[in-house]
Amino acid sequence: MSTIIEFKNVDKIYNSGNHILKAMDNVNFKINKGEFVIILGPSGAGKSTLLNLLGGLDTLTSGEIIVNGNHVEKFSDNQLTGYRAKNVGFIFQFYNLIPNLTALENIELMKDIADVNINGLDVLDSVGLKDHANQFPAQLSGGEQQRVSIARAVAKQPTMLLCDEPTGALDSKTGVLILKLLQDMSNNKETTVIIVTHNAILAEAADKVIRIKNGQIESISVNDNPKKVTELEW
Amino acid sequence: MAFLGVFVFAGVGGESEGLEANSNDYYSSTNLADGWIYSANLDRGFLDEVYTLGPTTEMERQLVVDSVANFSNDPEITLHFVENNTISKFYLIKGEPLNISDSDGVWLDKSFADAKNIKVGDNITFEFNGFKIEKEIKGIGYSPEYVYHASKSSVIPDFSKLGFAYMSYKAFPSEIVPYNVLNVKFDGTAETFSSLLSEKMDGKYNSFVERSEHTSVSQFSEEMDQHQMMAGIFPVVFILIAMLILLTTMTRIITHQRTQIGILKACGFRDISIMFHYVSYGFWLVLAGSILGLIIGPLTLPKLFYPSMSATYILPSWKPAWSMDFFYVALAMIMMSILVSYYAVKSIFNEKPADTIKPKAPKVSSSGMIEKLGLWNRLSFNTRWNYRDTKRNKFRALMTIIGVIGCTALLVSAFGMYDGMNDLKEWEFNQINHYDSKLVIDEEASISEIDNVAKEVNGDKIMENSIEIESDSAKKSGSLLVLNHTDLVTPTDYDWNKIKIEDDEISISQKMADMLDVGVGDTVKWHIMGSDKWVKTKINKIHADPTSQGLIMSSDKLEELDLNYTPTGIVTTEHIDRNYSTIKTTNSMNDMTSSWDELTEAMWLLIYILIFFASLLAVVVLYNLGLLSFTEIEREIATLKVLGFKTGALRKLLLTQNLWFTTIGFLLGIPVGYYILKVMWESSGDSFYILPSISLTNIILTAAITFSLSIFVNLMFSRKIKKLDMVESLKSSE
Repeated sequence: MSTIIEFKNVDKIYNSGNHILKAMDNVNFKINKGEFVIILGPSGAGKSTLLNLLGGLDTLTSGEIIVNGNHVEKFSDNQLTGYRAKNVGFIFQFYNLIPNLTALENIELMKDIADVNINGLDVLDSVGLKDHANQFPAQLSGGEQQRVSIARAVAKQPTMLLCDEPTGALDSKTGVLILKLLQDMSNNKETTVIIVTHNAILAEAADKVIRIKNGQIESISVNDNPKKVTELEW
Repeated sequence: MAFLGVFVFAGVGGESEGLEANSNDYYSSTNLADGWIYSANLDRGFLDEVYTLGPTTEMERQLVVDSVANFSNDPEITLHFVENNTISKFYLIKGEPLNISDSDGVWLDKSFADAKNIKVGDNITFEFNGFKIEKEIKGIGYSPEYVYHASKSSVIPDFSKLGFAYMSYKAFPSEIVPYNVLNVKFDGTAETFSSLLSEKMDGKYNSFVERSEHTSVSQFSEEMDQHQMMAGIFPVVFILIAMLILLTTMTRIITHQRTQIGILKACGFRDISIMFHYVSYGFWLVLAGSILGLIIGPLTLPKLFYPSMSATYILPSWKPAWSMDFFYVALAMIMMSILVSYYAVKSIFNEKPADTIKPKAPKVSSSGMIEKLGLWNRLSFNTRWNYRDTKRNKFRALMTIIGVIGCTALLVSAFGMYDGMNDLKEWEFNQINHYDSKLVIDEEASISEIDNVAKEVNGDKIMENSIEIESDSAKKSGSLLVLNHTDLVTPTDYDWNKIKIEDDEISISQKMADMLDVGVGDTVKWHIMGSDKWVKTKINKIHADPTSQGLIMSSDKLEELDLNYTPTGIVTTEHIDRNYSTIKTTNSMNDMTSSWDELTEAMWLLIYILIFFASLLAVVVLYNLGLLSFTEIEREIATLKVLGFKTGALRKLLLTQNLWFTTIGFLLGIPVGYYILKVMWESSGDSFYILPSISLTNIILTAAITFSLSIFVNLMFSRKIKKLDMVESLKSSE
């Protein structure tokens, strides 16, 4: 399998006045195409910082981030916007759907951003929400909203799906459904899925587990036989 | 916002209140006469009779004559030989008080003295009715009868050409003083006094002028009316919008504090102390703003107007006055802010603290008619988003639109006034009057002398008089213009088309016809001021005139009505700078237009101030509401940015909504502005007639200002979009 994402000696230092915080300290790892990756760590370990850097929401202090052969750290603001639009599918803890748009419109919105020709209804169907196409986010349950959010993220056929505690606001049953959906995406469509979480149980389902602590990589382990999300003991 | 509203309200109000207070003080401290009885025979018997009318409390005789003072430009000085000067007292500025036993002294008009650089102690010579007297100037000052003083030929005073002087009756060159004016003070209304007078003493006097009809008093009160009118319309519009914005802002600020209030409640704070905190928060701000506005408004704004007004009107003091109204308005503003915060907080209290801690669930959007149309799916994301956002925030949309309506209306009416003032000048000085000089004929001149001058200057004779016109429904004073086939003065209709008034026709001006509620074919009754011969005439035509309202006819028609044709002026295309013995003064067109400009200076100033504040208003309204909505949709914007929307697309998103509202507000604002303009012109005094009109330039200018302000405000937000921290905005659900 080919390497699609690579972090090389990445440092990220937050400097607020005389208080200096090293959120990323010499981080190195590689992720292959189609991998289902879990990034584990306690709160404040730097998980979100890693995701933000990878997603093009934040810029690093030093080092290299190579995605599809491109140096993300060298992108301008405009290039970053384009990078986010084409390569990154975000899935947030709080879904972040546009409340003014229906489920279907939230997905078709992606046509405006990435040059993709998709059928919104088909995408909704793939997350099992075809019947809710014309409902507004506020009319959907949390799990349904998160499915719309996943549909929105995959609609533009991104290089990777970045998920920040995607089940954080959901009950465990719904959470499993969402994770299953994500795992299937990775297995069937060869989409690289990266999930940030503090829930260690998930590790058994991942192809690759990256543990971080205090801004540093603690360990990187590869599962040759990952379990299905539904087989995990919650 | 509170400051701005109260500032403009109290400032403009203070100006007009000040005019009224100053003139009232002046009139009462100088004991201005309540009325003037003109008669050639003011002997003891006459005085007794006036006294026995009943309401009379004070009387004093004067001899008022026109004289020429010894200066190269033959200035026209009205001399008052007074019996004791207890009524309409001379207001001394410099020198010694008017001394009734002083036969050598004269007390001179300060404006004239200033224009001629004459000082107390100088000598001055007057010529009148064959007399020539030389007196020493003992004092310089003002008179309440001369707040406004212009010659008969021009509405604008030129202080180097005319003035007045007071002297003791002892200064009169003959033993017997032929008194001709009786100043009276009386109890009760002028109407009662006037009817008593005409009933009991009919035929014994020429005319009676009550205070409100006196040229100086009425001109100044008309001016005050105009100012009050302005003080009545614009600041009110302004303060209403200010209140509106203030209230929306406060409600929204409190709604934003929702979770905070919930947390405070959950922590065990009592309702009353939370309430007190939030109510006092708005209260102090509004209070501070209002107080500042109340103080600074009247201190600054009137200062802008008074200098140009004091060029035309003479008052001893120009001070802004303070009215309780300002205080009430400020109080209302404060009360409303308390009420609004109270109810906003109250509605949050009504929910359970558990719900309050969480942010309010977003309002559910619903699909309406438009979505069902096939067209909807073809609309861009931008349009869809903005449509739904507007639908979800109707209140915000309404407020923004009202704000823009206010701004547009103020701008349209301000530019409309600007156009109207220019139109008026063009109409009066280019469309109707085509002469270069107007010679004012001395009253003593004989017909043959007048004819000689007219021939010499190649001019046409005209007759202008004040008249009083009566219809079944109303009685108004106006002017009479008698023309003899001259093409130097050409009456027009309201479209500026010349109209021909035949020899046997009488034409009435549009405004006069409106005021009297008469039309072509109706009959009106009128008489020339100073004569009590009333005539009844049928109206044949209607003309329109911007500055004088009344009748126009030929000399043949006048004589047919058995009235004397006595020309009062000669108009000519030649530029006259020679003096004729039969000519009192010569006014050139240039003099008239430049004095017109001076007279209208205050208006211009007002227009500029209006434009400035209307623009300021627009910025504040748009920015304020924009800011509030921005904080509301910040999270959405951040999400869109994360998803990969370009800053430009997001900017366009906000701009679209702004432009929608601005367009709607602008379109609705134009008719509102037109209405304000109409009310303005209609209340601009009986003698002015201006049709409200909104030119294309006006609309283009207003659009340019409104829309560029809207875009300017939007630019301020695009900076915010750029700086928006995506990571921060996405972290929590708040």
